[in-house]
Amino acid sequence: MPSTLEKIRILGSNSKYDICASTASSRTNKYPELFGKSKNWIGATTSAGICHSYTPDGRCMSLFKTLFTNKCIYSCKYCFSQSCKQKLSFTPEEYARIFMKLYSMNVVEGVFITSGVCGSADDTTEEMLEAVRLLRFKYKFQGYIHFKCLPGLSQHLLKEAISLSDRISVNSEASTASFLSEIAEQKDFKNDIITRQRWLKQIRIKHNEDVLKELKDKKKEYELKYQEKMIKEYNQNGYKKFRWDGAPILNGGQTTQFVIGAAEGETDLDLLNRIDWQYKAVDMRRAYFSAFIPLEGTPLAKRNAPPLEREHRLYQSDWLLRIYHYKLKDLKDILTEEGNLPHGDPKIHFARQYFKNHSPIDPNEASYQELLRVPGIGPISAKRIINLQKQNYRFQRRIQLKSVGVVLKRADPFLKIDGQNQMTLQNFLNDDKNILFQEGIQ
Amino acid sequence: MNCNNNYKDPMEVLGRSKGHSYEELIENLPRHYEFNPTLLQQIKNIPEAILRNHGSSIAKKINRMVKEVFKEAYRAEQFTRTEINNKSVLYGVVLLKHKVIDIVLKYFHKRWPNCVICLYNEYNQKTGIINEEGIIQEVKEPLQKVIDRLSKNRSISPYFEDIEFSNEEIFEALYQSQNITERENLRFFNSMIPKNCYKLPGMRKGVEKKYNNKNRKLDDFIK
Ligand code: SF4
Repeated sequence: MPSTLEKIRILGSNSKYDICASTASSRTNKYPELFGKSKNWIGATTSAGICHSYTPDGRCMSLFKTLFTNKCIYSCKYCFSQSCKQKLSFTPEEYARIFMKLYSMNVVEGVFITSGVCGSADDTTEEMLEAVRLLRFKYKFQGYIHFKCLPGLSQHLLKEAISLSDRISVNSEASTASFLSEIAEQKDFKNDIITRQRWLKQIRIKHNEDVLKELKDKKKEYELKYQEKMIKEYNQNGYKKFRWDGAPILNGGQTTQFVIGAAEGETDLDLLNRIDWQYKAVDMRRAYFSAFIPLEGTPLAKRNAPPLEREHRLYQSDWLLRIYHYKLKDLKDILTEEGNLPHGDPKIHFARQYFKNHSPIDPNEASYQELLRVPGIGPISAKRIINLQKQNYRFQRRIQLKSVGVVLKRADPFLKIDGQNQMTLQNFLNDDKNILFQEGIQ
Repeated sequence: MNCNNNYKDPMEVLGRSKGHSYEELIENLPRHYEFNPTLLQQIKNIPEAILRNHGSSIAKKINRMVKEVFKEAYRAEQFTRTEINNKSVLYGVVLLKHKVIDIVLKYFHKRWPNCVICLYNEYNQKTGIINEEGIIQEVKEPLQKVIDRLSKNRSISPYFEDIEFSNEEIFEALYQSQNITERENLRFFNSMIPKNCYKLPGMRKGVEKKYNNKNRKLDDFIK
């Protein structure tokens, strides 16, 4: 009989390729009585999350992230399940208790519960849900829970998972049905993934509407206004895309993950198309990318791993779509002929393209979106600049931009202040006034 | 910078970009171990926009001091390792130069509202205590003595007595299971846990230390 420690070692190591490490949720601050009124609740969530440790690959390690079982009826070609011979499962009670022990040590912030599919998605999810129920209602844990939606899960179980968790993920793994069938032939892209993502969106909105109406009776005056605004927004537009909406149910929203470089021929454009669609159509909170690692004993063991830089560029581009509100079309302009992102920061590539046809911008006049096109200006410094504009403050010297957080050495070539912009070699050569230099060339 | 308008705080923006308000600075600056009351007077003479924007050397200094205060509290929340006994007393050791023990105690109280929490601060050799009602006190007593005293009149509520593994064993098993060796990036790792974090009591014997470059032997690199 394997010990719990042995299970943590093996099931933990089988789950390590699932990347999401966020523990951010504002639920317990805003809705402390969501799971009932009690003085015995243990645990809390924080809106910025907390990292209690980091692994030598530099990733934050703040979640009790293990598989519930590594037995699986699927045989995805990139997956450890093809090579891991020791098959183990937690019992719900064992899982819940060992987590509470870790929580008392202040080494983890919450749970990331995922699993292989043992028997059927519903059977395994029932077990996983039992562990979550124990955590929530026996051990009174009201901290962070990330739940994995298994392929083909029934709607009623997904509903329960949504009501108990802060975040749920449905891993896309690939950008289209044909790429998915190449690496995980038993999975049905449309049914197992897209349909579940749509359900997540619909159930979340419905649940939150109901809960907010119910909470309304119990809340104080000033909080009521906020909730009313939220209910009105849901009814009008659904959730606003890209925004942290502070909903009580599933506060962290839904996420997804792609395996980069496992399916042959899948380009960055394919992936960007898919995440753009997911942000718009299913209220995806964010996408994660995991560069494929060939594992010994799997059918893809001989395939080359993609460079980690590719994963990094995709994260940068995703940031531009999600936080900077770039259009997908903007990113398409900088892709290589093969449809991949070029080496180097996508924002700089984009700025070089954009400013070929546009003159440098004046921070005293530019709009928020224009400012965000300049490398070295992020959403925070752009907001500060806009605020100063509104107050009729004017930047007169470049160095003043530094104090609001602009990275001058990156931004300088794309800015002009009081009609002057930084002299680059190209500008210098193009400038008719540089007679001396032109004469020198002749 | 020119201002054509009546003064109004131009830095009033949301989130991280908003900086600290007067009230926050006045409340938290005295926590700094190098705090000097004349600083408070100086704060009052600086326009809030300049203060929030680090617009002068004194504004920069004040913001740096407050940042140091919050950073120390955050590091303690991240890296203090605690234990719980069968009388619902949760305890640990911290190293806090600034006066932030109340922030750290409240953090644990929010998580374990039914426990009495004791944190021994090695810096001033005092033990901070927060009870179930959230009342805080500091005593000049060693941790074990405080735990024994507090445990005496409390009823037994066994938390995890049936778990036969030590805290260190469990965490080490989880920690090692999460590491993707193919992606090892020690520079990044060291920037996430800078070397002064290993001076904190909870991290001195931490499993993370084994992976810090400085603690590695030549053989580890050759492997
Ligand atoms: S469903 Fe696929 S990826 Fe998930 S555990 Fe099973 S084989 Fe692995």
